[in-house]
Amino acid sequence: MKSGLALMAHSFHRVRMLVLGMSGLLAGFQILLCLAAKTAQELNAFGQLSALIPDFLRQIMGPSVIALMSFGGVVCIGYFHIAVVGAVVGLAIAIATEVAAEIESKFVDLVLSRPLARHWLITRSIALLLGCSIFVACAMVLSTIIGLYLLAPADIIRPTLRLVRSQVLNLNALIVCWGGLTLAVASVCRRRSVAGAIAGLSALTTYFFDYIAQVWKPGAKIAWLFPFHYFNALHLLSSGELPLREIRILLGFAVGGIALAYLLYSRRDL
Amino acid sequence: MEELRTLHLDQNEIAGPAVVTRSLTKRFGKITAVSNLSLEVERGEIFGFLGLNGAGKTTTIRMLLDLLRPESGEAFILGYHCRLQGIQARALVGYLPGEMGLYGDLSGQQLLDLFAALGARQVRRDYQAQLLERLELPASDLHRKLRTYSTGMKRKLGLIQAFQSDAPLLILDEPTEGLDPLMQESFYQLLFEAQSRGCTIFMSSHVLSEVGRVCDRIGIIRKGKLVLLSPVEEIRRLAARTVRVFFETDVPTGPGPLPDGYELLETSPRAWTIRVHGPIGRLLQALAGLPVKDLSVAEPRLEEILIRYFREESP
Repeated sequence: MKSGLALMAHSFHRVRMLVLGMSGLLAGFQILLCLAAKTAQELNAFGQLSALIPDFLRQIMGPSVIALMSFGGVVCIGYFHIAVVGAVVGLAIAIATEVAAEIESKFVDLVLSRPLARHWLITRSIALLLGCSIFVACAMVLSTIIGLYLLAPADIIRPTLRLVRSQVLNLNALIVCWGGLTLAVASVCRRRSVAGAIAGLSALTTYFFDYIAQVWKPGAKIAWLFPFHYFNALHLLSSGELPLREIRILLGFAVGGIALAYLLYSRRDL
Repeated sequence: MEELRTLHLDQNEIAGPAVVTRSLTKRFGKITAVSNLSLEVERGEIFGFLGLNGAGKTTTIRMLLDLLRPESGEAFILGYHCRLQGIQARALVGYLPGEMGLYGDLSGQQLLDLFAALGARQVRRDYQAQLLERLELPASDLHRKLRTYSTGMKRKLGLIQAFQSDAPLLILDEPTEGLDPLMQESFYQLLFEAQSRGCTIFMSSHVLSEVGRVCDRIGIIRKGKLVLLSPVEEIRRLAARTVRVFFETDVPTGPGPLPDGYELLETSPRAWTIRVHGPIGRLLQALAGLPVKDLSVAEPRLEEILIRYFREESP
């Protein structure tokens, strides 16, 4: 237990700059969105922006596009914008590929020559994934609250804390999901670049496939197999309800990936 | 030095050899890296594990540490099964890998602290300080990032992390690779001191002169198979010696038929060169009556003997 905790502390120490940097960027983006929403509100531009949305985009995004074209909608974009999703999934991939990086660098030889059970390397990565995703989420929520406090006009309908919390939980479920799946891939790879490339390309492909599947019927038949199908932040924005079923499915992907990672890593040659 | 001698090992209560492998076999695809390897390393000895590159030395060591899983066979460290009781086994090991995988953004001190925390045995700060002093790694270097370390400095750091927990078994994979001669000397002294405290050392090496100097027993592995397992002294004793016989006057004819184990290499009127396997007593009988002026016996060099095993000249 002591050895496992020491390994965790070491790994947290190593990723601290990455996580702090990512949190800072995402927190800054939240403030920027609050500023953008305030400006749009002052210019009374939400109606004009809605009119500019092309039909095909309306078809893809559904009625929730109306919810998006509001002060609260713009503020919440920070929890599902493609850049944010890309950044947090990238962070999950970077953390989860640590096990492959340790094999590649042969650091694992030094670590596992100590009285440490193999599962600790996977457990460590899970703890890192959860810890970092919670930290990033807290930074994002905090910056949203600060941004709203400083920048939101007094007479505007602000996004409720419940909505922000639901959005961040939804995003965190996605991070954990991709973290778990990447961990399964990394547990059989010898190189971080290979594990990262497989996970990254899979994420990118399935992200765009999910969009395509919304307008392409054959695609819709298999879209349910992929995680992004269950990340429906726009629907959450319009309904305000936490999509528990979808979150359970995303966490199910994560649990499956983690279980596979434990199994594969315990059996492999290092 | 005195403090070093006062260190006591908490020797495992389980009796028997320090390292045991039984029919250990490991394949990588179609390549058999280690084949049916069986050996025992007694407690308190310095065992040299020799072989050419790719012979299977590191693979064997990595199986002992449960980093690789054998296709068949089993291995034990101080009585503990390397796979089934891996945590107990590795708690008793200090390990230096052949290739040190280090993160460049850590400092030397952070690395030592990390491995002290990961180990089961308490690291004595005064012992660690002694190791640092004897391997000439000053505090100023310890606080530098590892990416700025030279190969030799990384090796020294590797040795310190292996020795610092004062484990009953040291597994060292080519420990002197990259060390300068002075540091090699310091390392040998550390090795002998560890042995005097009851520690067992299992080391792989390419440096044959080093093996002849420090090892009690050696095993040679060739293409994954153990081809020699013997005490160093026994190898020297059984190896052929070269005897040169010098005469006062010309001896026109050769020595005639020689007993078994004797081989005439060269003759001249006043000198013969004979290779002798075993005792040279019977040679003296054969020389009786000849005008012998002097005899010189060249002891075999361990390197020459071992190279023969490496070159597949032996069974």
